[in-house]
Amino acid sequence: MNIHAYERLWLVASMVLIVGFIVTITYGTVGLGITMVDDREETISPDDVDEDDRFQDPRVEQVGENEFEAYVVSMTFLFQPDPIEIPANNEVTFYVTSRDVIHSFTVVGTNTNTMVIPGEVSAMTVEFDEPGEYGVVCNEYCGPGHHDMEGSLIVHPEDEYSLTELSVDAPDQVGPGEDVELTISIQNGLLEDLETTVDVEVGDETLEQDVTVPGGETEQVSVTVDGDDLEPGDAEWSASVDDEVETGTVTIGDDADDGGDEP
Amino acid sequence: MDDSGISTEISHDEFDPIGTLALIALYFVVLTLMWLFTYFVEFVGNAPTPTVLL
Repeated sequence: MNIHAYERLWLVASMVLIVGFIVTITYGTVGLGITMVDDREETISPDDVDEDDRFQDPRVEQVGENEFEAYVVSMTFLFQPDPIEIPANNEVTFYVTSRDVIHSFTVVGTNTNTMVIPGEVSAMTVEFDEPGEYGVVCNEYCGPGHHDMEGSLIVHPEDEYSLTELSVDAPDQVGPGEDVELTISIQNGLLEDLETTVDVEVGDETLEQDVTVPGGETEQVSVTVDGDDLEPGDAEWSASVDDEVETGTVTIGDDADDGGDEP
Repeated sequence: MDDSGISTEISHDEFDPIGTLALIALYFVVLTLMWLFTYFVEFVGNAPTPTVLL
Protein backbone atom coordinates (compact mmCIF):
# COMPACT_ATOMS: atom_id res chain seq x y z
CA MET A 1 0.00 0.00 0.00
CA ASN A 2 1.31 3.39 -0.93
CA ILE A 3 0.67 5.99 1.76
CA HIS A 4 1.83 9.53 1.13
CA ALA A 5 4.52 10.85 3.49
CA TYR A 6 2.29 13.68 4.82
CA GLU A 7 -0.54 11.30 5.49
CA ARG A 8 1.81 9.04 7.42
CA LEU A 9 2.94 12.09 9.39
CA TRP A 10 -0.66 12.95 10.33
CA LEU A 11 -1.39 9.36 11.35
CA VAL A 12 1.65 9.35 13.64
CA ALA A 13 0.75 12.78 15.04
CA SER A 14 -2.78 11.65 15.90
CA MET A 15 -1.37 8.61 17.70
CA VAL A 16 0.93 10.94 19.68
CA LEU A 17 -2.11 13.06 20.56
CA ILE A 18 -4.05 10.03 21.89
CA VAL A 19 -1.04 8.88 23.92
CA GLY A 20 -0.69 12.46 25.21
CA PHE A 21 -4.33 12.43 26.40
CA ILE A 22 -3.77 9.18 28.26
CA VAL A 23 -0.50 10.47 29.77
CA THR A 24 -2.17 13.63 31.14
CA ILE A 25 -5.05 11.68 32.71
CA THR A 26 -2.55 9.23 34.24
CA TYR A 27 -0.48 12.14 35.56
CA GLY A 28 -3.62 13.63 37.13
CA THR A 29 -4.48 10.36 38.85
CA VAL A 30 -1.00 9.24 39.91
CA GLY A 31 0.84 12.56 40.23
CA LEU A 32 -1.89 14.86 41.54
CA GLY A 33 -4.00 12.15 43.20
CA ILE A 34 -7.24 13.23 41.52
CA THR A 35 -9.95 10.69 42.14
CA MET A 36 -13.49 10.04 41.01
CA VAL A 37 -16.40 9.95 43.42
CA ASP A 38 -17.54 6.34 43.43
CA ASP A 39 -19.87 4.00 45.30
CA ARG A 40 -17.31 2.68 47.78
CA GLU A 41 -19.38 3.93 50.71
CA GLU A 42 -22.00 1.64 52.27
CA THR A 43 -25.52 2.26 51.06
CA ILE A 44 -28.09 3.81 53.37
CA SER A 45 -31.86 3.73 53.12
CA PRO A 46 -33.16 7.26 52.54
CA ASP A 47 -35.81 6.57 55.22
CA ASP A 48 -33.10 5.86 57.80
CA VAL A 49 -31.08 9.05 57.28
CA ASP A 50 -32.44 10.38 60.58
CA GLU A 51 -31.25 7.31 62.47
CA ASP A 52 -27.76 7.33 61.05
CA ASP A 53 -25.05 8.56 63.44
CA ARG A 54 -23.52 10.69 60.73
CA PHE A 55 -26.62 12.25 59.27
CA GLN A 56 -29.10 12.61 62.13
CA ASP A 57 -27.21 15.73 63.11
CA PRO A 58 -25.54 17.12 59.96
CA ARG A 59 -22.31 18.75 61.10
CA VAL A 60 -18.58 19.18 60.78
CA GLU A 61 -16.38 17.10 63.05
CA GLN A 62 -12.66 16.92 63.67
CA VAL A 63 -11.42 13.35 63.33
CA GLY A 64 -7.66 13.81 63.46
CA GLU A 65 -4.93 16.38 63.31
CA ASN A 66 -5.72 18.46 60.23
CA GLU A 67 -8.54 16.07 59.34
CA PHE A 68 -12.19 16.93 59.39
CA GLU A 69 -15.38 15.24 58.27
CA ALA A 70 -18.50 17.04 57.13
CA TYR A 71 -21.82 15.19 57.08
CA VAL A 72 -24.23 16.84 54.71
CA VAL A 73 -27.86 15.97 53.98
CA SER A 74 -29.51 17.31 50.87
CA MET A 75 -33.23 17.42 50.36
CA THR A 76 -35.79 19.42 48.40
CA PHE A 77 -34.71 22.25 48.42
CA LEU A 78 -31.86 22.78 50.85
CA PHE A 79 -28.60 21.49 52.22
CA GLN A 80 -27.94 20.81 55.91
CA PRO A 81 -25.96 22.18 57.64
CA ASP A 82 -26.16 25.66 56.16
CA PRO A 83 -23.65 27.20 56.22
CA ILE A 84 -21.05 24.47 56.33
CA GLU A 85 -18.02 25.86 58.14
CA ILE A 86 -14.61 24.32 57.62
CA PRO A 87 -11.00 25.37 58.18
CA ALA A 88 -8.58 26.15 55.34
CA ASN A 89 -5.49 23.99 54.75
CA ASN A 90 -7.04 20.93 56.35
CA GLU A 91 -8.28 17.74 54.75
CA VAL A 92 -12.05 17.74 54.80
CA THR A 93 -14.02 14.69 53.74
CA PHE A 94 -17.58 15.46 52.73
CA TYR A 95 -20.14 12.70 53.13
CA VAL A 96 -23.27 13.69 51.30
CA THR A 97 -26.55 11.83 51.05
CA SER A 98 -30.07 12.61 49.95
CA ARG A 99 -33.36 12.09 51.76
CA ASP A 100 -35.59 12.20 48.72
CA VAL A 101 -34.56 12.57 45.09
CA ILE A 102 -31.33 12.92 43.13
CA HIS A 103 -29.49 16.15 43.85
CA SER A 104 -25.95 17.33 43.41
CA PHE A 105 -23.52 18.95 45.78
CA THR A 106 -21.53 21.46 43.78
CA VAL A 107 -19.19 23.97 45.37
CA VAL A 108 -19.33 26.70 42.73
CA GLY A 109 -16.08 27.42 40.91
CA THR A 110 -14.32 24.29 42.13
CA ASN A 111 -14.12 20.63 41.19
CA THR A 112 -15.72 19.75 44.51
CA ASN A 113 -18.79 18.41 42.84
CA THR A 114 -20.74 15.21 43.14
CA MET A 115 -24.09 13.72 42.35
CA VAL A 116 -26.13 12.92 45.46
CA ILE A 117 -28.25 9.83 45.08
CA PRO A 118 -30.82 8.66 47.65
CA GLY A 119 -29.49 5.45 49.17
CA GLU A 120 -25.87 6.27 48.39
CA VAL A 121 -23.29 8.25 50.30
CA SER A 122 -20.97 10.34 48.13
CA ALA A 123 -17.58 10.85 49.77
CA MET A 124 -14.97 13.35 48.61
CA THR A 125 -11.81 14.50 50.32
CA VAL A 126 -10.69 18.04 49.52
CA GLU A 127 -8.43 20.68 50.95
CA PHE A 128 -9.37 24.33 50.56
CA ASP A 129 -6.35 26.66 50.53
CA GLU A 130 -8.28 29.88 50.11
CA PRO A 131 -10.47 31.10 52.97
CA GLY A 132 -13.71 32.66 51.84
CA GLU A 133 -17.34 32.00 51.24
CA TYR A 134 -18.31 29.59 48.50
CA GLY A 135 -21.77 28.90 47.15
CA VAL A 136 -23.16 25.38 47.09
CA VAL A 137 -25.77 24.58 44.47
CA CYS A 138 -27.72 21.62 43.20
CA ASN A 139 -27.21 20.99 39.50
CA GLU A 140 -29.53 18.02 39.07
CA TYR A 141 -33.10 19.10 38.40
CA CYS A 142 -34.91 18.02 41.58
CA GLY A 143 -38.29 19.74 41.49
CA PRO A 144 -40.05 23.09 41.23
CA GLY A 145 -37.75 24.70 43.84
CA HIS A 146 -34.55 23.46 42.22
CA HIS A 147 -33.41 26.93 41.21
CA ASP A 148 -33.63 28.05 44.85
CA MET A 149 -31.69 25.11 46.22
CA GLU A 150 -28.48 26.57 47.54
CA GLY A 151 -26.27 26.45 50.55
CA SER A 152 -23.01 28.01 51.52
CA LEU A 153 -19.61 26.82 52.50
CA ILE A 154 -17.49 29.10 54.65
CA VAL A 155 -13.79 28.36 54.70
CA HIS A 156 -12.22 29.98 57.75
CA PRO A 157 -8.52 30.75 58.11
CA GLU A 158 -7.00 27.83 59.98
CA ASP A 159 -6.13 29.81 63.12
CA GLU A 160 -9.58 31.39 63.40
CA TYR A 161 -11.50 28.16 63.15
CA SER A 162 -13.40 26.83 66.12
CA LEU A 163 -16.11 24.27 66.75
CA THR A 164 -17.34 25.92 69.92
CA GLU A 165 -20.94 25.60 71.00
CA LEU A 166 -22.51 27.57 73.74
CA SER A 167 -25.59 26.91 75.81
CA VAL A 168 -26.74 28.90 78.79
CA ASP A 169 -28.97 27.94 81.66
CA ALA A 170 -30.44 31.10 83.17
CA PRO A 171 -33.38 31.75 85.44
CA ASP A 172 -36.43 33.47 83.93
CA GLN A 173 -37.16 35.26 87.16
CA VAL A 174 -35.50 35.98 90.48
CA GLY A 175 -36.84 37.66 93.60
CA PRO A 176 -35.87 41.25 94.45
CA GLY A 177 -32.26 41.45 95.63
CA GLU A 178 -31.57 37.80 94.72
CA ASP A 179 -28.41 36.84 92.85
CA VAL A 180 -28.68 35.93 89.18
CA GLU A 181 -26.73 32.78 88.38
CA LEU A 182 -25.96 31.81 84.81
CA THR A 183 -24.60 28.35 84.03
CA ILE A 184 -22.74 28.43 80.76
CA SER A 185 -21.82 25.21 78.97
CA ILE A 186 -19.00 25.52 76.46
CA GLN A 187 -18.53 22.60 74.12
CA ASN A 188 -15.21 22.38 72.33
CA GLY A 189 -15.53 20.29 69.16
CA LEU A 190 -11.85 20.53 68.26
CA LEU A 191 -9.27 18.04 69.48
CA GLU A 192 -7.05 20.81 70.81
CA ASP A 193 -7.72 22.54 74.12
CA LEU A 194 -9.61 25.81 73.92
CA GLU A 195 -8.37 28.64 76.07
CA THR A 196 -10.81 31.47 76.04
CA THR A 197 -12.75 34.01 78.02
CA VAL A 198 -16.44 34.02 78.81
CA ASP A 199 -17.97 37.49 78.76
CA VAL A 200 -21.22 37.83 80.65
CA GLU A 201 -23.46 40.84 80.73
CA VAL A 202 -26.55 41.12 82.92
CA GLY A 203 -28.25 44.49 82.84
CA ASP A 204 -25.41 46.97 83.28
CA GLU A 205 -23.12 44.49 85.02
CA THR A 206 -20.30 42.85 83.06
CA LEU A 207 -18.18 39.95 84.17
CA GLU A 208 -15.32 38.04 82.61
CA GLN A 209 -14.05 34.58 83.35
CA ASP A 210 -11.17 32.68 81.82
CA VAL A 211 -11.83 29.08 80.95
CA THR A 212 -9.95 26.17 79.42
CA VAL A 213 -12.03 23.53 77.68
CA PRO A 214 -10.20 20.30 76.88
CA GLY A 215 -10.51 18.98 73.32
CA GLY A 216 -13.79 17.23 72.57
CA GLU A 217 -15.27 18.06 75.95
CA THR A 218 -17.79 20.37 77.56
CA GLU A 219 -16.95 22.67 80.42
CA GLN A 220 -19.46 24.42 82.65
CA VAL A 221 -18.91 27.86 84.05
CA SER A 222 -21.14 29.45 86.65
CA VAL A 223 -21.32 33.21 86.84
CA THR A 224 -23.19 34.94 89.62
CA VAL A 225 -24.26 38.56 89.50
CA ASP A 226 -25.06 40.17 92.80
CA GLY A 227 -28.77 40.92 93.01
CA ASP A 228 -28.14 44.20 94.82
CA ASP A 229 -26.37 45.57 91.74
CA LEU A 230 -29.37 45.00 89.51
CA GLU A 231 -32.34 47.24 88.96
CA PRO A 232 -35.77 45.63 89.38
CA GLY A 233 -37.62 44.88 86.16
CA ASP A 234 -36.53 43.03 83.02
CA ALA A 235 -32.79 42.73 82.53
CA GLU A 236 -31.19 41.60 79.29
CA TRP A 237 -28.39 39.11 79.67
CA SER A 238 -25.85 37.86 77.20
CA ALA A 239 -23.01 35.37 77.37
CA SER A 240 -20.35 35.19 74.72
CA VAL A 241 -17.34 33.05 73.94
CA ASP A 242 -15.32 34.04 70.89
CA ASP A 243 -17.97 34.58 68.18
CA GLU A 244 -20.73 32.62 69.89
CA VAL A 245 -23.36 34.66 71.69
CA GLU A 246 -26.41 33.62 73.69
CA THR A 247 -28.92 36.16 74.96
CA GLY A 248 -32.06 36.24 77.05
CA THR A 249 -34.05 38.17 79.60
CA VAL A 250 -34.41 37.73 83.33
CA THR A 251 -37.14 39.38 85.36
CA ILE A 252 -35.94 40.80 88.65
CA GLY A 253 -38.55 41.30 91.33
CA ASP A 254 -42.03 39.90 91.80
CA ASP A 255 -44.42 39.35 88.95
CA ALA A 256 -46.84 41.75 90.55
CA ASP A 257 -44.30 44.58 90.43
CA ASP A 258 -44.08 44.78 86.67
CA GLY A 259 -47.46 43.26 85.86
CA GLY A 260 -50.72 44.84 86.77
CA ASP A 261 -52.62 43.94 83.61
CA GLU A 262 -52.94 40.33 84.63
CA PRO A 263 -56.50 39.03 84.95
CA MET B 1 0.04 14.20 -25.43
CA ASP B 2 -1.63 17.59 -25.78
CA ASP B 3 -4.98 15.89 -26.24
CA SER B 4 -4.97 14.50 -22.70
CA GLY B 5 -4.54 17.95 -21.11
CA ILE B 6 -1.74 16.67 -18.88
CA SER B 7 1.24 19.00 -18.85
CA THR B 8 3.49 17.23 -16.32
CA GLU B 9 3.19 13.82 -14.84
CA ILE B 10 4.61 13.27 -11.34
CA SER B 11 4.86 10.19 -9.17
CA HIS B 12 2.87 9.62 -5.97
CA ASP B 13 5.62 10.86 -3.63
CA GLU B 14 6.48 13.89 -5.73
CA PHE B 15 3.04 15.37 -4.96
CA ASP B 16 3.92 17.97 -2.35
CA PRO B 17 0.94 20.00 -1.00
CA ILE B 18 2.92 22.21 1.38
CA GLY B 19 -0.09 24.45 2.13
CA THR B 20 -2.16 21.46 3.28
CA LEU B 21 0.75 20.30 5.44
CA ALA B 22 0.94 23.74 7.03
CA LEU B 23 -2.82 23.67 7.73
CA ILE B 24 -2.80 20.26 9.39
CA ALA B 25 0.27 21.22 11.42
CA LEU B 26 -1.58 24.30 12.62
CA TYR B 27 -4.64 22.16 13.40
CA PHE B 28 -2.42 19.83 15.43
CA VAL B 29 -0.96 22.71 17.43
CA VAL B 30 -4.44 24.12 18.12
CA LEU B 31 -5.69 20.72 19.31
CA THR B 32 -2.71 20.31 21.64
CA LEU B 33 -3.07 23.78 23.12
CA MET B 34 -6.82 23.34 23.60
CA TRP B 35 -6.26 20.05 25.39
CA LEU B 36 -3.59 21.56 27.68
CA PHE B 37 -5.86 24.52 28.43
CA THR B 38 -8.89 22.34 29.14
CA TYR B 39 -7.02 19.97 31.44
CA PHE B 40 -4.44 22.10 33.23
CA VAL B 41 -6.21 25.45 33.38
CA GLU B 42 -9.94 24.77 33.35
CA PHE B 43 -9.92 21.46 35.21
CA VAL B 44 -6.86 21.31 37.48
CA GLY B 45 -7.04 25.10 37.99
CA ASN B 46 -10.48 24.81 39.61
CA ALA B 47 -9.04 23.67 42.92
CA PRO B 48 -9.86 22.00 45.18
CA THR B 49 -10.42 18.73 43.40
CA PRO B 50 -11.39 15.56 45.26
CA THR B 51 -8.21 13.59 45.80
CA VAL B 52 -7.15 10.32 47.34
CA LEU B 53 -5.12 10.73 50.49
CA LEU B 54 -1.55 10.70 49.24
